[in-house]
Amino acid sequence: MPGSMMLPDLGAMPPLDGTRGDAAARWRQAGWPGPRVESWRFTKLDALTKMDLVPAANAAGEASETGVAEAASMGAHLIRFDNGLVDAACLAALPAGVTARDLADDEAAMSALADIAPQNHPVSDLSMAVMTSGLVLDVDGVVDTPLMLLFEGAGDDASTHPVVYVRLAAAARLQLAELHASTVALAAPLIGYDIGEGARLEQVKLQRESTTTTHLASTGVRLAEKASIAGFSLSVGGTLARLETHVTMAGEFADCQLSAIYMGRGSQHQDVTTYMDHAVPNCTSNQIIRGVLDDTARGVYQGKVHVAPDAQKTDGQQMARALLLSRKAEVDAKPELEIYADDVICAHGATVGELDATQLFYLTSRGIPEDIARAMLVEAFLVDTIEAIENETLAGLLRPVAESWLTAGGA
Amino acid sequence: MTALLEIRDLHASIGDKPILKGINLTINAGEVHAIMGPNGSGKSTMSYVLAGRDGYEVTGGDILMNGESMLEMEPDERSRAGMFLAFQYPVELPGVGGMSFLRAAVNARRKDAGEDEVDQLAFVKMVREKAKMLGVSDEMLKRAVNVGFSGGEKKRYEILQMALLEPTMAVLDETDSGLDVDALRIVSEGVNVLRDPARSMLVITHYQRLLNHIVPDFVHILADGRIRKSGGKELALEVEESGYAGIDDAA
Repeated sequence: MPGSMMLPDLGAMPPLDGTRGDAAARWRQAGWPGPRVESWRFTKLDALTKMDLVPAANAAGEASETGVAEAASMGAHLIRFDNGLVDAACLAALPAGVTARDLADDEAAMSALADIAPQNHPVSDLSMAVMTSGLVLDVDGVVDTPLMLLFEGAGDDASTHPVVYVRLAAAARLQLAELHASTVALAAPLIGYDIGEGARLEQVKLQRESTTTTHLASTGVRLAEKASIAGFSLSVGGTLARLETHVTMAGEFADCQLSAIYMGRGSQHQDVTTYMDHAVPNCTSNQIIRGVLDDTARGVYQGKVHVAPDAQKTDGQQMARALLLSRKAEVDAKPELEIYADDVICAHGATVGELDATQLFYLTSRGIPEDIARAMLVEAFLVDTIEAIENETLAGLLRPVAESWLTAGGA
Repeated sequence: MTALLEIRDLHASIGDKPILKGINLTINAGEVHAIMGPNGSGKSTMSYVLAGRDGYEVTGGDILMNGESMLEMEPDERSRAGMFLAFQYPVELPGVGGMSFLRAAVNARRKDAGEDEVDQLAFVKMVREKAKMLGVSDEMLKRAVNVGFSGGEKKRYEILQMALLEPTMAVLDETDSGLDVDALRIVSEGVNVLRDPARSMLVITHYQRLLNHIVPDFVHILADGRIRKSGGKELALEVEESGYAGIDDAA
């Protein structure tokens, strides 16, 4: 069998049928990505596949004060997952316009989620099959209260596979924050955002798992006609993290703004992978990615923009820049355009650089100590990306994290 | 009395190339010295060596400030000890807000002196006052450091930093380059206001015209990495008339 070991032992689970059964079958067939799988060439899961991982079956304990406090400071309704299991108490008294249901009971929803999730993707398939907890959130109308999905948990050999399917009805509006802050061995959330006609989602994700956690997130987005998403991810945690997002522009005049910052130090590995599928004409997408890597950290950016033959008038932009703070830090960048339509505006680019010695000298010549001067220049490198987040409530969750990373030394 | 700045037989190289070949210069508190010299004489190298820039290697001699050698000090330490370099080409810092930059610089100095950080409102008020005098607009203060500034604006912004940091030893590297007559007057007035019995200045320039505005106590002619001639302010006029070619090597 391909893959060095199977995780987890799906044979121990009750037999699955339907969509989850199919996912389990694909997982059994494919297993972990082998050395020749192109999309995993820069991100190897060798350490993970050697571990004896057990899908979490029980909650680990009390909610951390930090996550709860962050939700409170945003005025958000908190939906907490502990070891990948949703805390049912959080589903009572949801904000008006939001209803929750169990995904495991809803084959139609499961199948719809599978359609928008990354396809033939080992981690996405695995999480769909294992699904430590499955939640559908239906959103109707304009929801003023932000939702926060908080993913916590603990366990040296635990793997968590929460699956959340968020559906915005036509013209709905939602603000949502994902906060991933566990100490489990593997956190593998699968999250789908299905955005209906004219609906809008403003979303941020903060990945600050422990430095022993492997975070492999699969996110699927579908945009109906005139739907829009403004999404932003900040990835600072984990020993290895991959944030993989697949977006399908399914209706015309949809707009997708997706930005990400990844920051790594020590021996961290930070991967941001996106697939932007312009399936129909007249849609816009814009991705701004910034990476900062220190010590022996490694960064990966893979971004593909696919424009279907009849997706004329597509405007697809992606720009990835990385800043290496140490001679031993590395980044692999692979921006790709795959265009089959002829009347499009598409641009992509990737740059890798170091801090500018002249700028650093200018700052230190003013008496600013070098560590502070370096942090100022790194912040300057990131600032336009964070400032581009229009939703101030959501931006407020990320800004202190980026700042504390910069002042934690090593910058 | 210990000199504020004493440069002793200073030799410096960029890479393998010797640029400064034995500079001797003593500057006492309150004095304004001018260094004049043709292109390639080592003027800018001297300013960078004083500020401690990487890549400018001191191969001999010493630089003493208040009797203490600065050679082992990093640029930020030199600055906090009272050294200031007004850059010939001020550096643009996209993304670094002007106010937070100025505040970081002032606070670094205060922290070193064991003082509290500046009160934000009081600081903004102080910056605005000094900025107004130098013709630095509020709009410039809000922008990223030096980004989108004209040549003259950049020079005024340098002098604003000098006014805020209150150095004891200010080195002005070709502060007149790129300035029109009006800007030259504004910048010079800004500098003259800062003349003080406790503050010394080293004005590096190619042309005599700056020295009509910032009148030096002493003028030195630098050529091929050495000071060839020293004198009073009248030496600058001599250069203006006969050019550097006429400077006698027997300084």
